[in-house]
Amino acid sequence: MKRQFFMRGWLVAVLAIAITGNTASAQLKVVTSTSDLAEIASEVGGRMVTTRHVSEGYQDPHFVEAKPSFVLQLRNADVWAFVGLGLEVGWMPLLLDGARNPKIRPGSVGYVDVSSAVPLLDVPAGDVDRSQGDVHALGNPHYWLHPENGRRIARLFQKRFSDLDPKNAAAYSANTRAFEGKLDAAQRTWKPALAIIAGKPVVAWHTSWRYFAQFTRMNIVGFIEPKPGVPPSPSHIAGLIQTIKRTGAKAIIMEPFYDRKTADFVARKTGIKVLMLPPSVGGAKGINDYVQLLSSDIQQVAAAVR
Amino acid sequence: MRGRFFLCAFAIVAPTVLQAQTPQPRPTPARDSVARADSIARADSIAIVRELEAGAANPGSSSPDSPTVPARGGPSNPRLMPDISAIGEVIGDFSPKGSTQESGKRVDIREIELALSSAVDPYFRADFILGISDLEGIAVEEAYITATALPKQIAARIGRFHMPFGKQNTTHRAELQAIEYPHVIQQFLGPEGLKGTGLWLSRVFAPLGFYQELQLTGVNQIGEPEGDLIAAEAANRSLAGLGVSARLRNYWDLSESTNLELSGSAATGRRAQPASCDLAIDCQFAVEVNAVNARQSLIGADLTYRWRPLQRGLYKSFIVQAEVMRQINQWDDDLRREVQSAEFSGPTRNANGAYLFSRYQLSRRTYLGARYDWVQDALADAGSGEKTLTAASGYLQFFPSEFSKFVLGFERQFAAGERKGVNRILLQSTFAVGPHRPHPF
Repeated sequence: MKRQFFMRGWLVAVLAIAITGNTASAQLKVVTSTSDLAEIASEVGGRMVTTRHVSEGYQDPHFVEAKPSFVLQLRNADVWAFVGLGLEVGWMPLLLDGARNPKIRPGSVGYVDVSSAVPLLDVPAGDVDRSQGDVHALGNPHYWLHPENGRRIARLFQKRFSDLDPKNAAAYSANTRAFEGKLDAAQRTWKPALAIIAGKPVVAWHTSWRYFAQFTRMNIVGFIEPKPGVPPSPSHIAGLIQTIKRTGAKAIIMEPFYDRKTADFVARKTGIKVLMLPPSVGGAKGINDYVQLLSSDIQQVAAAVR
Repeated sequence: MRGRFFLCAFAIVAPTVLQAQTPQPRPTPARDSVARADSIARADSIAIVRELEAGAANPGSSSPDSPTVPARGGPSNPRLMPDISAIGEVIGDFSPKGSTQESGKRVDIREIELALSSAVDPYFRADFILGISDLEGIAVEEAYITATALPKQIAARIGRFHMPFGKQNTTHRAELQAIEYPHVIQQFLGPEGLKGTGLWLSRVFAPLGFYQELQLTGVNQIGEPEGDLIAAEAANRSLAGLGVSARLRNYWDLSESTNLELSGSAATGRRAQPASCDLAIDCQFAVEVNAVNARQSLIGADLTYRWRPLQRGLYKSFIVQAEVMRQINQWDDDLRREVQSAEFSGPTRNANGAYLFSRYQLSRRTYLGARYDWVQDALADAGSGEKTLTAASGYLQFFPSEFSKFVLGFERQFAAGERKGVNRILLQSTFAVGPHRPHPF
């Protein structure tokens, strides 16, 4: 009897391991270029996906080292999702070539150019060349800082995950609705802060805050960079100081990966505040999801321009 | 010895000593009027943004609030033209005792590199890199197709390519962190690195939990054929004469900011070495023959340590790299029998070489580098004692953007067997147009 009980217990354990093992191996492996995409992917995928990301939220995603350890992540991935529009052009080709993973090569279902799902700002109408700085010829890639685009990204993931894993399509759909509900609720709490920000003049370091400005209706009156990606010259800074004085701009908004010396200098000359805003999930302590990211940025800007 | 000490000391203390950022440029006195500010603004990002907004106002453009998504995101060139890029490289040589450039000119265009790249079909990608220079005319630097759809995560390449031997050899000369390849690469592999025409295979694996990659090649022959050397028969008349190489890369993340790469390489093949004879004496060589095929093998190891803090990665980084190589030359009884009465002028000993390089990023646009080179002369007589080239060099790099670079280099070089040093002062300018190429890692 005792032996029989032991055998049954053994069988149950083996079955449990087999079932959980199967569940684990059935999870979609999603690797994304940025932490924001990874966070939205995990909201949509829930327990059906594992997510990893290449660049950290406090790192400039333009300048990521194509480390071989990332190749190891990508070689077994089912999905490679990236911002696109040239944001990752300096490192993504090396990783994709190194991974040799046909599931995430261009043209396959697992190759997800997220920019295809969102309407873009700053798409050049005429000729573009590098005399204009690091202008992205296909449009401004910092689109995740607009909550409507966050919703679009989630819906794109829902569709792709459902294509790859149809048996969990209903769960992906439910997760997406839950994510959008969370955003709706947050947006209701942002209303007072957004009312403060609307129309207020600010200065940004880089063109990365254009989508955020479109949502919050803050008015970017100047950039620390004279041209996208180009460090400022003394004459540009002198002109910017005049612009700040003329427009009464209240804050300089910049990412934590830029050197704040120049911004501090401008602040000393004009009395403007310098705001180091996290541009991505994980960009500052306590910013662990997409809603927290937008909430934190909105509240900080509202407090600065009040 | 002193140079070696300097370089080691620099590698150890650089990250801590050189912490201070170069100061940001101070603005000019704020005399600017509103009108002047507006004129500056016309050239700044706001002006660009306004232009973009004006473009977006045209029909067909959209905003995040608009319901439709514009059709876009296809190939950058709808006519299926390949990506075309060009890199120009100008070298100024201001060495006190005359130009040390191969062309002998003080200022010269060393090379223009023209690259074309595109997918061939769903299974292959093609890359063509042509080198254009006054000395060589147009040369095929690289031309290969890469299979992108092989099973078992194997990558394969057919064509001409930089052979995966050592670390810096696979980097194109214009993209080096110094102006020229380390001397050990120039002497053992060739002034423009080691290239081969044949088959390249690679597989990535991680049985021990860290990144490993095995790269194998089989090529027509090891090294560039010397133009005026003619052997009685081709070096690879028998299949054993083909060039083969193997490289095993190992990579570890030490922390979020630091990583280490330790790799080993080996290559072997037969290549023509000079041999001559006096026809007045009993000589078995045909008149036009002036070379004999000898096996040459290379083994090497390389170590690269990188530091780049993620949040400060735009402004701070440090790399230290070392490579050591051994050239093993055939000079045995078989070869003596083949040469017979002729005089063999090729290498008659094995030789070693190494370099140590480090580079520290001073600010967003400036880097300071240093290198120490040490190479034995394989052509020196075995009895003539140790003849080595040593050199210590320093480099100041300035990058106006990712697409242009200026490098000022100083090298103190002691040629093999020379006690008197030679000073070299070089200025390199590199500029690229065309699609953004991924940064070499």
